[in-house]
Amino acid sequence: MVKVIGITGGKGGTGKSTIATALVYQLAKENKVLLVDADVDCPNDHLLLDIKRDFFQSVKQRIPKWDFEKCAQCGLCGTVCKSNAIVSIKGQYPIFMKSQCNGCGSCVFKCPVDAISWDKKEIGQIFTGSNYNINFLSGELKANEPVSEFVVNSLNEIIEQEKEKYDYVIIDTAAGTHCPVIAALEMCDYVFTVTEPTPLGKHDLEIILQLLKRLNINSDIVLNRSDMGNRQIIVDLAKKYGLTIICEIPYSKEIVDNYSKGSPIIHEQISNLLRVIVK
Amino acid sequence: MKLITILSGKGGVGKSSIAASLAVSFSKDKKIICADCDVDASNLSLVLGADEYAEWKDISTNEKAVFDLDKCNSCKKCFNECHFNAIDWENNKPKLKEFSCEGCGMCELVCPQNAISMKKVNNAKIGYANTKYGFEVVSAQLNPGESGSGKVVFEVKKKARERGFDAEVMFIDSAAGIGCPVIASVAGSDYAVLVTEPTPSGFSDMKKALEVIAHFKIPAGIVINKFDLNLNQTAKIEEFAKINKLDLIEKIPFDKQFAKALTDMIPIVEYDETYKSMFDNIKSILLKKIE
Repeated sequence: MVKVIGITGGKGGTGKSTIATALVYQLAKENKVLLVDADVDCPNDHLLLDIKRDFFQSVKQRIPKWDFEKCAQCGLCGTVCKSNAIVSIKGQYPIFMKSQCNGCGSCVFKCPVDAISWDKKEIGQIFTGSNYNINFLSGELKANEPVSEFVVNSLNEIIEQEKEKYDYVIIDTAAGTHCPVIAALEMCDYVFTVTEPTPLGKHDLEIILQLLKRLNINSDIVLNRSDMGNRQIIVDLAKKYGLTIICEIPYSKEIVDNYSKGSPIIHEQISNLLRVIVK
Repeated sequence: MKLITILSGKGGVGKSSIAASLAVSFSKDKKIICADCDVDASNLSLVLGADEYAEWKDISTNEKAVFDLDKCNSCKKCFNECHFNAIDWENNKPKLKEFSCEGCGMCELVCPQNAISMKKVNNAKIGYANTKYGFEVVSAQLNPGESGSGKVVFEVKKKARERGFDAEVMFIDSAAGIGCPVIASVAGSDYAVLVTEPTPSGFSDMKKALEVIAHFKIPAGIVINKFDLNLNQTAKIEEFAKINKLDLIEKIPFDKQFAKALTDMIPIVEYDETYKSMFDNIKSILLKKIE
């Protein structure tokens, strides 16, 4: 039975991708592993694992289009758009701001003269690749498209179809806690939260832990750069939520050097993560 | 009021540390206000040493569907029309998947029984903190599991305008990434500071953030943080800046003092004397840019 494991953390730059890639690098030596880069705003895992990405498919979002020959200039379409994507004034043709639209369909439904039909726009792309016996899936949002979540949903559909071929699916999420992170976490059986021992790391970790609680997903904490800051604040937070700090990785020039060159990181503490996963 | 936005694409490259020190540096001779627009993970007030808010209250920028199951005739139109797959069908009745509901109102429109209404949800908290440097930070935090971060960012900027009605400069600390909250942060800015680091990820993500800025035609400059981690990459970024006519504002060395300053919740410019002249230099460059 495949296990789907998420890597998240709230704060950016705590080492999510470093941990995710280090983990799959080890795991793939003896298992069938799929790594999913679900940080679709800024995907980087392929850079760390030196994977050449191949285009797999386009992610399209439906958007409305107006037939002005039919449009009665009634102004109703704008009144139902909660994304503020339509400016409509009675007696004038509506103005559509495509980048605001989330494709909900309210305007199409509301139009009394069937002047609005569906069109499509590309909002992102899905890529595949492989290296080090790791199969890789990555999504990338086009710049100035707001709805990252749709690209993550598109990754989720592929994971759903493909996951039984693997022993493990590892999903690396974006920073933050909003829609694209939630969409990625919803696929996971279990999550590692990666943090750092600073007040910022702690603050953002707590929000993620509350989110995981709401989503009912079990997790353990990975403390990165564990000697750069105040370790105790994370220990206290772990205690408050009844969680374990499963792995502590001190700051190391070697890790930073590897990262800045784009090579996978090997660290003995990663084996702690493997133990938890394989269990 | 001039708006300066700090963004990076990649997280953890030093946006908030740099924003906080810039704000402190500017505050010595300008009236300023800070807007922490990373509403997923609001940290700017912590970097500035303010661990409590002077005001912190619920706001609603989102709605969610509520079903009156007594009126429902099980026609399933809401289930079929929801573009976000936010409605489950259980015991022949709709059930909302609350994490998926975008509040678009389509289900309310299609329901022939008027059994669905949209109800406001408190999806975030918003407020401000006083810093010991004589200016305020307006912040918001999305409640865990709620959506609508872009709209919350607009509320933060609105509130920052109110709190800082007489401010000359507003510093906007954006979230990581390039999605909805970042677009909302960047919109309307007078100048953007792109913070990056000399790693393949830092460089790649900075280019993505640049596309967002370019869309709004906002002039921008680059700060390379931890530039001495990889001088090759730093040279590539400098070359990129030149070709793309971006100002190279400053190169900051890798220094463990940054982590210590964060832990002690003191901006680096106040924590370590050696950074004072560096941030004064950045300030004078930025002042020329926004004049």
